[in-house]
Formats: sequence, structure tokens, C-alpha cells
Amino acid sequence: MIQFSGVSKYYDKEIIFKNISFTIEKGDLVYVTGPSGVGKTTLLKLIYCAELPDEGHINVAGWDLKKLRQGTIPYLRRNIGVVFQDFRLLPNKTVFDNIALTLKIQDMHPKEIKENVDEVLKNIRLKHKSYLFPLQLSGGEQQRVVIARAIVSRPSVLLADEPTGNLDSDTSAAIMKLFKDINAKGATVLIATHNETLFQGSGRRTIHLRDSQIEKETIG
Amino acid sequence: MRTLVYSLQTAFKSLWHEKWINFLTILSIGTSLLILSAFVGVTLNADSVLKRWAKSFGLVVYLDNTLNRKAEDRLKDFFQQDPDVLEVKYISKDRAIRELHEILGTNASILEELEGNPLPSSFELRLRRELLKPEIVKRKAGEIKQINGVEDVQYGEKWLSSLNTLSKAMKIIAAFLGCAIFTAVIFISYNTIKIFFFARRHEIETLKLLGATRSFIRLPFLIEGLFIGIFGGIISCLALFGVQSLIVYKGADILPSIRAIIVSLPVQAYILVPLAGAFMSLIGSFIAVGKIKY
Ligand SMILES: Nc1ncnc2c1ncn2[C@@H]1O[C@H](COP(=O)(O)OP(=O)(O)OP(=O)(O)O)[C@@H](O)[C@H]1O
Ligand SMILES: [Mg+2]
Repeated sequence: MIQFSGVSKYYDKEIIFKNISFTIEKGDLVYVTGPSGVGKTTLLKLIYCAELPDEGHINVAGWDLKKLRQGTIPYLRRNIGVVFQDFRLLPNKTVFDNIALTLKIQDMHPKEIKENVDEVLKNIRLKHKSYLFPLQLSGGEQQRVVIARAIVSRPSVLLADEPTGNLDSDTSAAIMKLFKDINAKGATVLIATHNETLFQGSGRRTIHLRDSQIEKETIG
Repeated sequence: MRTLVYSLQTAFKSLWHEKWINFLTILSIGTSLLILSAFVGVTLNADSVLKRWAKSFGLVVYLDNTLNRKAEDRLKDFFQQDPDVLEVKYISKDRAIRELHEILGTNASILEELEGNPLPSSFELRLRRELLKPEIVKRKAGEIKQINGVEDVQYGEKWLSSLNTLSKAMKIIAAFLGCAIFTAVIFISYNTIKIFFFARRHEIETLKLLGATRSFIRLPFLIEGLFIGIFGGIISCLALFGVQSLIVYKGADILPSIRAIIVSLPVQAYILVPLAGAFMSLIGSFIAVGKIKY
């Protein structure tokens, strides 16, 4: 589903990745970890085409990202749900509208949009706050809205960047259960985190990044 | 289709949300279009005045005093068959002297000093309107002068050439003004849409990351530009209608026949001006959103 082969990435002169390769199969749930600033967010950006690799090839859901035309990028992104580390919620839209936006972009019928959004709102237990604006929510609540927006369109790939950064352990556990359910329904899930409790004892594959390289892979 | 609905909603929300910028933009576009259509109105009126004058424009052909009645009739036939001539009016020497009498009034006694009638008979020729250009009229007059039995040809040469210069000048000014205002309106809406785009760049970035296509992102801006142009056009139409009504209303005190004289813009103009505004504004918006890239 996601394949990196010989990928290098530089920002100006700073080396982020040097010749890294790995493959994530369809239906996997994989963690990416490593110290702050190692490039976890950059790795996800490479997958949803917000950054391009300087060397090597990336293949996502059958698309060779190097050969992707500008006009095709939106259609790639519709297959990828992203939980952004910096949230990227629109402050002038309500919780409901923020989540609905993903589906509006995909030209879904308003009635279906309402059904789908209501369902995820129930899953993240924020139905009662659907008409508030992002800034009227707590950090953890905002994080749950971002997660809801990423999963509402049932993407085949889900990228979650530090999805439990603002959550207490109970809510974290609930969210992780949500990811596992989505994964069980066939979605490929990639979670970037430095919260070791997420992957330790999970029995899932974990990619450890350090010094522009994949340091090791473990089964948590 | 649903994208269109979404874009319309977004556009109208933005129109309302940024109502002051939009209001000023619409006002600027309206003013620009008003200047243009007012000038077109003035040109139309001037043109109608010119037409009126041109109708009464004639060549006066003075005949040789020795010509007999038969020869004069032959000449009349000749002019009537000329395709360039619309109308031939014969003024006999008797009538000419009678008219002179009337003009002189109490001073007519000076005519009694004269022996016989020194005035020649004449024809007044009205030419086709298309021929009322200084060079053509001059050539025509020259040709007629060559005809046997024609003593002299007179016409308002200076008057005709200044009339022509005036009408040419107005057309050139209209063209220039049209271009200038076309550019101005494009620039005004370009600027406004650019500001909106810049203000919403973070939102646009997010939309892109969520999988929005270029057209999904651009359409609201284009629609907003379109409506700004239409509203600008409507405002200028209202103002124009107001100004025109005022001129007719106030002018009626000074010149009662003004209602009949003044040429108002045709009804189509009230549709055409908003359409023109929409078109120009849309071009500006297109240029403004042209830089939205992935
Ligand atoms: N657009 C950019 N231009 C220049 N440098 C950048 C850019 N984005 C990220 N970097 C640099 O790349 C490095 C990796 O950033 P990245 O956000 O991927 O780290 P991370 O592993 O996600 O860190 P964290 O755990 O703190 O989120 C950092 O040193 C950062 O300064
Ligand atoms: Mg990060």
C-alpha cells in the first residue's frame, strides 16, 4: 500500500532522510516513532504529497508519486485521511462543518453527509458540541474533531500524526480502539508518535527513526 | 452541481462577510461603468443632433442667369436622376427675390433701386447621408460646377468639416475611455479578489490537503467576482437612470421640447452594462485566482 524505495529528503541543506526504504502492506497498522525533529511529520507529508522526495520513489495505493500530475493529487488525497499534528481546523466553521468539509469536497449528497458526520461525532463522543466552533473546544476535543474529519470519508489509508498528544489515557485508549476498528475494516493505518505506551505491548510493527535512517523495526 | 451550490454559498457568505470591501469595490466598478455609459449617452445625443443637422444640409446650385425655363427643367431632371441626390428643390429667381423681400422687411426699399431681378434661380440638393464627408461633398460640388449652365455651388464647408471632426473625436474618445475603464474594472476586481484569496490562504491550504480540486477552490472566488461586477453594473444603471431623469425633469423647465430631443440609452443598455461589468470583473478574478497552485 505504501512503499518507499531509496528515498532521500532534504530541507535546504539539512538532511532529513538518507536513502530509506520500507513497505507497508494493505491492511497493516504500523507505528512510526523517533525523537522530536527526526522527521515523522515529514515522512507522512511525503505520503500525502505535501512534500516531494529529492531522491528515490514513493508508491501509495498504486500511484507513483513522482509521476503524479498536479490535477491528480486531489484524488490521491481523497484516499488518505490525515490527522494533522497542527490540527488544521477551520476556525470560522463549526465542528460539524469542519468534519463535513471532507465529504463536501468529494461531492457527497448533503443527506449522506449528515448521516456520516453524525455517526463519527457519536464515535468521538462530541455529538452535543457539533455546533460549536473549534476555539470553543478544549485541546483534546479539537484533536478528536481532527480525527473525525480524517476518518469520516472511510479512506483506504489513515495517517495519524501524534493523534493522542492532547488526550488523557482513557480517551487515548478509546481513540486507539477507533483506529483498530477502522484498520479491522481494511484501512491501512500509519501512526506517528513518540508516546511509547501506544505501541509497547500492542503487538504491532513499529518503525524507529534516528539520524535520517530507519534505526530498527520492532514488534511492540 | 453540488459543488456549484457550495461555491454559491461560499461566495455569498464572503460577499456578506466582507461587505465593506465588497461595497467599495462595487461602488468603484459602478462609478467606472457610469462614466463609460454616461459618455456613450452623451455621444448618442450628440450623434442625434448631428443627424438632425445633417438632414437639413444641402448644396445650393446657382444657375446661369441666362438659362431659360426649359434648360432649367432639363437640369432638374438631370439632378433627380443622380443616385447621390435624395431631393431636389427648385427656387426660381422670382421666389428668391420674394424671400429676400421678406428677410429685409422694412428695408426692402433698397431693392427698388435695382434694375430687374439680379438674383439667379437655384436648386437645393440634399445628398445621401453617407456622402456627408468633407472630401466627398467637395468633389461632388466640383463636379456639379463643371456642368453647363451652373454658375456656382455653395455649401457650409467649414461647418461640415467641423461636424465631421467632432464626430470622429467623440468616437476616438469613446474607444480610449472604453479601454481605460475596461482595464480599470479588471484591475479593481483583481485587487479585491486577490485580497480575499490572500486572507483565506490557510483555509485554501487545508482544503487542498483534504483533496479539493482547483476548480472547487477557485469557483467561489470567480462567482464572487462575477456578482461584484453585476452589482457594479446595476448600480451604474440606477445612477445613470437617475441622472437622465433629472436632466429631463430639470431641463423641461428651460427647454420644454427636451423630452422629444433627448435620446435615452436603449433598454438593452440596462442589461448590457451589468453584463459588461460581470465580464470585466470575471476576467479580473480569473487573473487573481490564476496563481492558486498546488
Ligand atoms: N518546511 C520546512 N522547511 C525547513 N525545514 C523543515 C520544514 N519542515 C520541517 N523541517 C525540519 O525538518 C525536521 C523534521 O521535522 P518534522 O516535523 O518532520 O519532525 P517530527 O519528527 O515530526 O518532530 P515532532 O515529533 O516534534 O513532531 C525538523 O528539524 C524541522 O526543523
Ligand atoms: Mg511531527
